[in-house]
Amino acid sequence: MAIESEYVIETQDLVKIYKTGKVKAVDGLNLKIKKGEIYALIGANGSGKTTSLNMISGALFPTSGNIRVLGYNVPKHRRIISNYIGIAPQDYSIFYDLSLEENVRFFSRIYGMTKAEFEPRFNELLNILRLEEKRKALAKNLSGGMKRRTSIACALIHNPRIVFFDEATVGIDPVLRTFFWKYFHSLKEDGITLVITSHVMDEAERADRIGLMRGGKLIAEGTPSELRNKHNADSIEEIFIKLSEGVIIDE
Amino acid sequence: MSKKNVDLKPKNLNFSLRRTMAIAFRTMNQFRRDRRTIALMSIVPIVIMLIFGLAFSGEVRNVPVIIDNQDVLYTNPFPPISLHLGPNITDNLVADDGVDVTFGNYDQGIDSVELGDVYAAVLIPANFSELVVRMLTGENVTIQLYVYIDATKPTIRASVMSTIYDALDSAVGDRGIKLVQILAHDGAEFTGLDVGIPSVIAFVIIFLLVIVGTITVTREKIQGTQDRLYSTPLRSSERLLGYVIGLLLIAILMISLTLIFGVLVFGVKVHGNVFLLIFAALIFGIAHVFLAVFLSNFAQNELQAIQFAPLTALPSMALGGMLVPIVSLPVWLQPLSYVVPLTYGINLFEGIMLKGWGFKELWVDFTVVAGMCLLFFILAVVTVRNRMRD
Repeated sequence: MAIESEYVIETQDLVKIYKTGKVKAVDGLNLKIKKGEIYALIGANGSGKTTSLNMISGALFPTSGNIRVLGYNVPKHRRIISNYIGIAPQDYSIFYDLSLEENVRFFSRIYGMTKAEFEPRFNELLNILRLEEKRKALAKNLSGGMKRRTSIACALIHNPRIVFFDEATVGIDPVLRTFFWKYFHSLKEDGITLVITSHVMDEAERADRIGLMRGGKLIAEGTPSELRNKHNADSIEEIFIKLSEGVIIDE
Repeated sequence: MSKKNVDLKPKNLNFSLRRTMAIAFRTMNQFRRDRRTIALMSIVPIVIMLIFGLAFSGEVRNVPVIIDNQDVLYTNPFPPISLHLGPNITDNLVADDGVDVTFGNYDQGIDSVELGDVYAAVLIPANFSELVVRMLTGENVTIQLYVYIDATKPTIRASVMSTIYDALDSAVGDRGIKLVQILAHDGAEFTGLDVGIPSVIAFVIIFLLVIVGTITVTREKIQGTQDRLYSTPLRSSERLLGYVIGLLLIAILMISLTLIFGVLVFGVKVHGNVFLLIFAALIFGIAHVFLAVFLSNFAQNELQAIQFAPLTALPSMALGGMLVPIVSLPVWLQPLSYVVPLTYGINLFEGIMLKGWGFKELWVDFTVVAGMCLLFFILAVVTVRNRMRD
């Protein structure tokens, strides 16, 4: 068993250069995320948030640097840690030609869950995510918000200890967003660590800690109030704009 | 703004060439950005024209046959006629490049035909010249020449028979000599459909599995589910095997339908073991599912994926002996036939369905197909692994 550490996720000088481009998508990222916190990774589109998540979850091999998740080296032990992490990707990553239930069941099988383990957990998630009526609906016929919730159900079905929500709260209506944040806090109470990426700066106010990313690097980190005090600003957006001064942001 | 009323007859309600061309250019633009599709679209027709053109340019020639000339010199006392026609016939056959003559024993020749090493065995009987002399002297005799022939390839059969007839005709003249054809493989006579079905099965397996396989995998790539599965406990081998089993169930259904349709509606007979046939279809199918998974690496979207099917299937059709028997391809093109998987598929299905062959006669083809499975599997696994590192 790996050594218990205060941090469930640690990256050290993480670098990713995609083969197709010469750009450093991630350029020396040092992240430390504590157990049971809600950590918001904030940055413009193209700042390296998703690439970082993909490397931490073991889906993408880093060009250089070290990653430890729950004390295990990633990608070396990615199959072990995959049981403890859940991912709700930006693009949903669900099967549009399957029903909601079939999608979640598929992922439960990939995680090796039995039918007896699946049923109660699935019903619980349907209830929490308010998806009961849509369980037989084809994923392609669901609205954007429902697709997002289906994707979240797929991410949570195996009771992960760490969950990555990649832009999960972007592009949804305010009611649902508020609901999501309440839900995130309830997950936190259960001891689950959440990593949430967003390019909407104000989202970050609701997180425990924030990491601001730009050009594949962390340019600022701290609790929302720490950051506001340090940079003498009223909002995270203001800090980000201050720190980005003179830099043209992609998109 | 003083004028508040809108124009009730705006000009842009008429048919507009400008709008039409906007759609036209947008459609073209999609292709301009998709370089791989353009490349495929320019390569596919050239490859196909080239291969088909070459395949059809050849004639049936150098078909291997065995000749047993037992004919002996016959000297008639009265009227004094001395004849030895056998060598004349064989000389004519040797000179004709339609066939590639080997001299041998007729019984062994029959075995060679049964094993598929040669297409025909010809027997010129010992009393052939004698009978011709007796006919010339006015006797009413029947003169026969025996040809033991493989009937599974109608074009080859017709060509060989006409070559023999020509040789006979120029040696003896038109004297009503009977060419007795004995059909190999238990005298199985084939209609056009019988002969076609095995190649159709092999072709359908390649064509559909490559289409269905590449599209299934490519769609996963587009949906993003493939990337997501990398951060689950799923192994590459599990993924690959999963694709194979899923696609094979579809393949089995497809093959069964083709067979049942052929047997019930068109009365096609399966001369060999049905279970061996299913086994052959399965491993041939598995190889192509692996190939499809491998090929899907090179497709970014479904449009590209779908073009791999004609790109693999059509050259196979031309080179694998489906349209033109391999022996009638231009000689320098024939080695390519042995690279094309369809060749072995057709060998297997024809062998089992038409010739009633078993594993004993077909082990080489089975081995090659098994080797293809292994090769494509390795390629598929390696590329699935590598993609994670990109």
